Amino acid sequence: MIVGNFVAAAVLFCLGAYTVTTRRNIVKMVLGLSLMESATYVLVISLAYRNGSTAPVLLYPPPGHTMKGLAHGNVADPFLQNICLTAIVIGVAVTAVLLTIVVRAAQHYRTLDTDEIRELTG
Amino acid sequence: MSPTDAQLAGLLPLAVVLPIGGAVLALVAGRVGRLLPTVVSLVAMLACTGLLVVVAVRVYGDRVLVEHLGHWHPVGGAQLGVTFVADPLAVLFALLTAALGSVLLLHTLSELGGLGKREAGGYCCLVQLLLAALIGAALTADLLDLFVWFEVAALASYGLTGFLLERAVSLEAALKIAVLTNMAAFMVFVAVALLYGNHGATNVGQLRGSLGEAVHTADLVALALLIAGFATKAGVVPFHGWLPDAHSVTAGPISALFSGLMVNLGVLAIARAVRDVYPELAQVRPLLVSLGCVSAVLGALMALAQDDLKRLLAYDTISQMGVLLAAVGLADASALSGMVYHLVDHAMFKALMFLCAGAIVHATGMTNLSEMGGLWRHRPVTTVAFVVGALAVAGVPPLNGFVSVGTIHDAFERSATASGRAGFVLLTIAQALTVAALARAVWLGFLRRRDDDYDRMEKPRPGMIVSFGLLATGCVVLGCVPTWFLHHVADPAAATLVDGHAYATAALGHSGSLAVEPTSVEVWRAGHLALTALMIAVGLLLAWWYVRRSSEPRPVSLLRRLHNGSANEYASWSILGLVVLVAVLGL
Repeated sequence: MIVGNFVAAAVLFCLGAYTVTTRRNIVKMVLGLSLMESATYVLVISLAYRNGSTAPVLLYPPPGHTMKGLAHGNVADPFLQNICLTAIVIGVAVTAVLLTIVVRAAQHYRTLDTDEIRELTG
Repeated sequence: MSPTDAQLAGLLPLAVVLPIGGAVLALVAGRVGRLLPTVVSLVAMLACTGLLVVVAVRVYGDRVLVEHLGHWHPVGGAQLGVTFVADPLAVLFALLTAALGSVLLLHTLSELGGLGKREAGGYCCLVQLLLAALIGAALTADLLDLFVWFEVAALASYGLTGFLLERAVSLEAALKIAVLTNMAAFMVFVAVALLYGNHGATNVGQLRGSLGEAVHTADLVALALLIAGFATKAGVVPFHGWLPDAHSVTAGPISALFSGLMVNLGVLAIARAVRDVYPELAQVRPLLVSLGCVSAVLGALMALAQDDLKRLLAYDTISQMGVLLAAVGLADASALSGMVYHLVDHAMFKALMFLCAGAIVHATGMTNLSEMGGLWRHRPVTTVAFVVGALAVAGVPPLNGFVSVGTIHDAFERSATASGRAGFVLLTIAQALTVAALARAVWLGFLRRRDDDYDRMEKPRPGMIVSFGLLATGCVVLGCVPTWFLHHVADPAAATLVDGHAYATAALGHSGSLAVEPTSVEVWRAGHLALTALMIAVGLLLAWWYVRRSSEPRPVSLLRRLHNGSANEYASWSILGLVVLVAVLGL
């Protein structure tokens, strides 16, 4: 267990949520969403951690490790690192779409303030 | 010779490959001709529908088809690869998606015929990506894969919401759907990571086995995150901020796609999570029933107050999703069958009504009910189609809403728990409010006298009339064979939700017979006819009272002021909802 990382992930997530809910500037909202996203990466990578383990590269055992030890799982969990990569790729696409919307909205409304982009109510 | 189960299961990935291939081809076709993208997409979706029909025929013969993608078979009860499981529920939802998606594309061919080449290509591409994501989400038995399909659906929906760039409001709606759905995606992702961290699995079967031994606090937090994430997709209060906006600014077929199909993904995923992944937990049922009932009542109340026709229908979607979620929460065999039935019905009538609303907005350029009126003179076909949809929602026999809503109400009425009885009262109120909201819309928009002529009134095109006809016929036919549909379609589909173990076993096994007996439910009692008549009468009176009064009642105006359009506030509702869910489940 690496408690510090989990706390860091939780703090990052809350910071992101705080930004999204309180900042009216839509660029800052996108930044807040990115913060929340990074929090999920920290969490996932930390979940992959195992005490005294090495990187999940099984080609040549690093010094102090045997091939058999690696095969028996004395490596960080590659599955979680893998889904983290997947999430990063998806995250990039989503951020790009978000920023496209922001740019278009800024062109149409001539503002970045959510309080002025508020025609749909009720 | 008919193919073996294994051969047929091997074709399952095609159900998502076809729409995705169609999406790519549509982009290319958009460079060539104006009509070509739609035609290409229509062919791809029809092929996908055909495939799913073949699969459905087999699966409804008490079989389950299992395909481990890339031939990564489970080793020692552990499965790292993605597994597709075609049980009756998954196939029913996938088939509904493919068939309704084809009808919507046909409608697009007519209504959005004015799009340029490139726009048509992009539009068809996004629609098919969304459809592929919904089909994939239905078929997958892997939570990580479910998250990926969720994201694909989300990305496509952002694009579709912001598609009509000539209306600046569509950007506002796109911003809200993007912010809220994005947060929902993080919740689902964290939930999957927590579950994997604890149990070392993302496969539904493996997770159920491991969760059946012990459920830790982290698992409960993960469940809260899953429910919150998928409730955002389903547009359940308080996660619904994006839904009315996204539905009201888009073109008719896109709203129909969102409301008829996309939001169902949320309900379906929640049902899978609480019924198939997690073992029975005491807190879950009352929680889902209350979430659902609050949505049902608030959505219907907001619908009653709307002036924008599509916004009214969107709030009604929130209300109907609430009804479905409450039925999932009650988790009685007949409630679950009613849920499956109502899910199909809702897709039909809501798609029909959104197409009608979109056609009217397209023809007259008006969105507000206060400006409309007398449309039955100018648009008899559209009016008939809309009224058929409204009657189906109101539960007038012999249309399809009568039995599906009736079965759900009946299950609540017979329920012995306190939450079930409270749910019955709330759902009845919600139904009366829904009748009132739709009666008001039909009166103000279609039947009321309007003295001056409309400035512009475009002619309906043949494709639009065909799609209205198909969907309206669907509503009538489904309503005419309620017993058959309940016993032969809804019951088997609900069976894997009633007994989650069978689905979980299939997720780790091979194609074979589905070891679950569908419990056959009582259709509805004669007493329900009286209750329906009462709800309709109360609803009509309410609509009459509401149309006559000049100002809004206080609770309604308060509610409307809460929906102040601020993306920040909608995001805080979501966070608040998540905190409440975590508190209720985890503590």
